[in-house]
Amino acid sequence: MPTPAVDTDRSARLVDLLARTALSDQAAFAELYRLTAPHLYGVGLRILREPALAEDLLQEVFVNVWHHAGSYSAAKAKPQTWLSSIMRNRCLDQLRRRELDTVSMTRDGDEVEMELAAVGPTPEELLVSGADANSVRSCIEGLEGGQRQAIALAFVQGLSHAELADHLRQPLGTVKSWVRRGLERLKKCLDAAGFAV
Amino acid sequence: MDLSRADRSARLDALAAAYALGTLGYRTRRRLAAVARRDSVVAASLRTWEWRLAALTDGAPGVTPSPRVWERIRSRLGFDDASAVAGASAAGWWSSLPLWRGLAVAGLALAIALGISLLAPRERPFESIVVVLAGTDAKPALIATAERDGRYLIVKAVTNLRIAPDRALELWMLPDGRPPQSLGLVAATGIERVPLRSAAGVTLENIPALAVSLEPAGGSPTGAPTGPVLYTGRVERTY
Repeated sequence: MPTPAVDTDRSARLVDLLARTALSDQAAFAELYRLTAPHLYGVGLRILREPALAEDLLQEVFVNVWHHAGSYSAAKAKPQTWLSSIMRNRCLDQLRRRELDTVSMTRDGDEVEMELAAVGPTPEELLVSGADANSVRSCIEGLEGGQRQAIALAFVQGLSHAELADHLRQPLGTVKSWVRRGLERLKKCLDAAGFAV
Repeated sequence: MDLSRADRSARLDALAAAYALGTLGYRTRRRLAAVARRDSVVAASLRTWEWRLAALTDGAPGVTPSPRVWERIRSRLGFDDASAVAGASAAGWWSSLPLWRGLAVAGLALAIALGISLLAPRERPFESIVVVLAGTDAKPALIATAERDGRYLIVKAVTNLRIAPDRALELWMLPDGRPPQSLGLVAATGIERVPLRSAAGVTLENIPALAVSLEPAGGSPTGAPTGPVLYTGRVERTY
């Protein structure tokens, strides 16, 4: 768990690297990659569950960052949050598009599950341990069990409502309401904790 | 739809939350993203939720991608060679000089002692693999440990290794008589968890030694070591 000071240092460093990248500084871009690619690859791997595909999208994202680093605004988001959002959206677009094409979902093969188990903690553990501030962590822990589990699975592994219902063995309506209420509660809690976005 | 402003705002907020959480289907996602490109209120709502949620996992552990990703990025962007080190000789150091063979590495006893203190207590404490990676001065620099059936190597920097910011340390398996195979990048400080394709006992079977080379950021661009070999160590098994 990074301490706030280390986190601030890191953010400042990334902001600087993004600014240099916008000026076509290859060494800065290489350093940006070195510092952030593992986090983004982890995000992609957990959602897509296919290393080759996650690698492809990681590549896309960084090619994009090279061309659009200038559009990053430090006033609006922390650099890592900005990068993670880009990666997450690419991965989710890819995942949802494939779902249109395939009737049956085979993303939960045993082998993939084992791979994921080796890669790390469960989505819920990840959400709790990965939250980078105490206030955020206590907001997650303040959710009811079902809400927390549904949000963690959706966010960390990219499960859709239907997959959540399947996974949690609950009616679709129940799962949808867990997600909706959980998000509302999370928002209230985060806003009350003064978590600025 | 004829919604009052408050209704519209609540609906938008719920939709933006679902977008950021990732539960929307493909068509809805695309439609919402398209609307956000023209409508700054919608865009702001999406961004707010994305950032609110991204903060939940900003501290989550990363996974080091294969070095080939960086190489592909470099090549697509047409980078010059400054972002990579000079290419290795055609044959490679590993085929001409099996330097790990006669290497003076820390003994098995030391390896086991270090390894066991690094691993959490387990039912079978001796089913471990330990590699003490040392430089030419024989001082341990990195220690790699794994449980025989574990799916990752824990690599711990014993001392604070100083490397230039545009360089990375890459870990290699040195199979007998064949080119090294990359296991990924390792951190110069602290502890890194290097994921393995199969159980450590299987991955490292017939692998007599590991080596760490100095590579450009992102790892070797060629799939073989290109920089100097800094540390090597024998693979010791406690089973």
